[in-house]
Amino acid sequence: MTVAAGLGYALIALGPAFSLFAGVVARKPFLVLTLLSSTLFWLISLIVLSGIWRGFLPIKSGTWWAYAILIITSVALQEGTRLVFWRLYKKMEEMLDAFADRISKPRLSLTDKMLISLAGGLGHGVAHAVFFCLSLLTPAFGRATFYVERCSKMPFFLASALIALGFLVIHTFSMIIAFNAYDEKKKCDQIVVPVVHLAAAVMTLVNLAPGGCLIGTPLLLVMAALTLQYCWRVACRRLTEHQHRQLNNN
Amino acid sequence: MADAAAAVPGDPRDGPTVLDSLGEDITRIVYPVTTCMLLVVLLVSLLSSPSAPSPLAASIAATTGGGGVSGGGDDIPTALVTALTFVVAVTAATFLLALLFYLRCTPCLRAYLGFSALSVLLVLGGQVALLLLSRLRLPLDAVSFALLLPNAAGALALAALAPASVPIALHQAALVAIAVLTAFWFTLLPEWTTWALLVAMAIYDLAAVLLPGGPLRVLLRLAIERNEEIPALVYEARPVDPRHGRNWRLWREGGQPGASSTTVEVIGEVLGRNLDCNSGYSSSPQVHEVATSAGDANNSRPRATLAAALSSADSSIAQAEEVPVLQEHRVAVAEMRVPLIQPHPERYGEEEEDEDGIGLSSSGAIKLGLGDFIFYSVLVGRAAMYDYMTVYACYLAIIAGLGITLLLLAFFRKALPALPVSITLGVVFYVLTRTLLEEFVVQCSTNLLMF
Repeated sequence: MTVAAGLGYALIALGPAFSLFAGVVARKPFLVLTLLSSTLFWLISLIVLSGIWRGFLPIKSGTWWAYAILIITSVALQEGTRLVFWRLYKKMEEMLDAFADRISKPRLSLTDKMLISLAGGLGHGVAHAVFFCLSLLTPAFGRATFYVERCSKMPFFLASALIALGFLVIHTFSMIIAFNAYDEKKKCDQIVVPVVHLAAAVMTLVNLAPGGCLIGTPLLLVMAALTLQYCWRVACRRLTEHQHRQLNNN
Repeated sequence: MADAAAAVPGDPRDGPTVLDSLGEDITRIVYPVTTCMLLVVLLVSLLSSPSAPSPLAASIAATTGGGGVSGGGDDIPTALVTALTFVVAVTAATFLLALLFYLRCTPCLRAYLGFSALSVLLVLGGQVALLLLSRLRLPLDAVSFALLLPNAAGALALAALAPASVPIALHQAALVAIAVLTAFWFTLLPEWTTWALLVAMAIYDLAAVLLPGGPLRVLLRLAIERNEEIPALVYEARPVDPRHGRNWRLWREGGQPGASSTTVEVIGEVLGRNLDCNSGYSSSPQVHEVATSAGDANNSRPRATLAAALSSADSSIAQAEEVPVLQEHRVAVAEMRVPLIQPHPERYGEEEEDEDGIGLSSSGAIKLGLGDFIFYSVLVGRAAMYDYMTVYACYLAIIAGLGITLLLLAFFRKALPALPVSITLGVVFYVLTRTLLEEFVVQCSTNLLMF
């Protein structure tokens, strides 16, 4: 439906990502590099997943449980990959700290670490939003629009963009929660992140039912808002604790 | 909530940490490469018809009853022959360039450079402009066009060739314009030919720079022996200097002691330290001392910028001033100054003479030959002809390849070609995306599933 609609859908999916990029990530070049490497890392995880599942596709449309297995295995693999990502991040943090000592500058502060985890999460969210939504938006720039049978009330592109937006928010902020949890070794937060990911992914299974997207999409956005709120709490708590500790030390 | 709000905007006690400026030189080369690729993808999507439509586009076209576009009929043997011919032509041209350089024929080299830049901008630019005008139905009469095109081409060619006399933004924009036009022209080749060409150029680049008899290596040796610049088109990112950030000319006249530590140096340093710890003996400091004491004159010369300065007199004076300051600098910083990597000029027969390979200038800004810009954009443009998913995957692969090349640059500290790693990764990701990822993602997305 013309360039305006296509751009509109793209901005619905990626608008917050652009704002985060322009406002936070672009100011520090290292975060831009973290974003790019994180996007590449999660792209590789998607390719590995698709390699595993290639033999079983295409799935016959009646079998919803096949999709459920697909989703559950994908989420499990991605959560495992998140741990690998965390290890890589720790190595890089050591290198950066060693370099900072070398040139006698202060080491990475807590805000820096949280910014790096934000950039990493943004890379994750952008990778998913781009590959699941943006790469399919090309027909939206044309003259007509497209409806899927099971979702006859919303254009396909709009539903796809809203879902991509929800997942972008979830991935970005759950990475911050996860990195905090691994750092502080808090079990409950470490469990929360995979549970949220799994819950959100399973929620999209609702879209398989006819008319399900009218329920699934708003619920997903509610989950995204909950993730955002939880991340806000975690970050505030951590920063105030850090502040108090510094005040006590001085 | 009040103290949370006070705590959140960063701790004022921590001064600027190491995160503030790290990686700036790499992003300064990533942004122009990204821009070039973006422009080529835009041009390709506006002007070219798709070679083989992707499944999603084909299914949508089938449901609407529209006719699909059939793929171009070129076959593998023709493609291989064409690619081989091209590589042979480039090798011959590079040897010719080396010969001319050996005979100190720099005026004819410079004239050739100017001629090729102007012809690209005039002929290819005019062609692309005409295609755009007809596609977008912009009203422009022939007289205005005939007036605007030569003027624009001439101005951009001048900006590309004489960086000292124009604002640096214009110079960089002109180089990117030349790269975009050449890359777009290359994407007009048939599909198999383009892929064969890319792989052949990557192999050629690898061989020409690293093999002892390779033309680029010969050329580099000549340049180092003579302490001269090779006139060529090379993109140089703006030097990173927090104090003189606005005035780019200062870094040419005098270095800054204890200045910015570029990311490449950081990486090299850290890798070197790790290597020290692992191997248990400190070889790298010795290497640095050797480089510092013995090779100064040799090393710092090639270090001067190779952005084709038409005024060689100016540049030699600048070099002379730079040498003593650089020595102080090196002693002050005292560690991993990654020595200068020579650029690798490459010629494409009737195309322009540009430089390939990656290097560092005296202030640590990264230099990338225009040939690299062109071939990266050709790969991404050809991916755009299939579907946008391959574009994103290939873009990430190429940037990753660029990063890996920079790591290798910091690690090995010798002349390195910039094409092989990126092109290999790009081709691998293209194939993987097209065969594996697309099916998976389309399955999930058309059912509105996501994770």
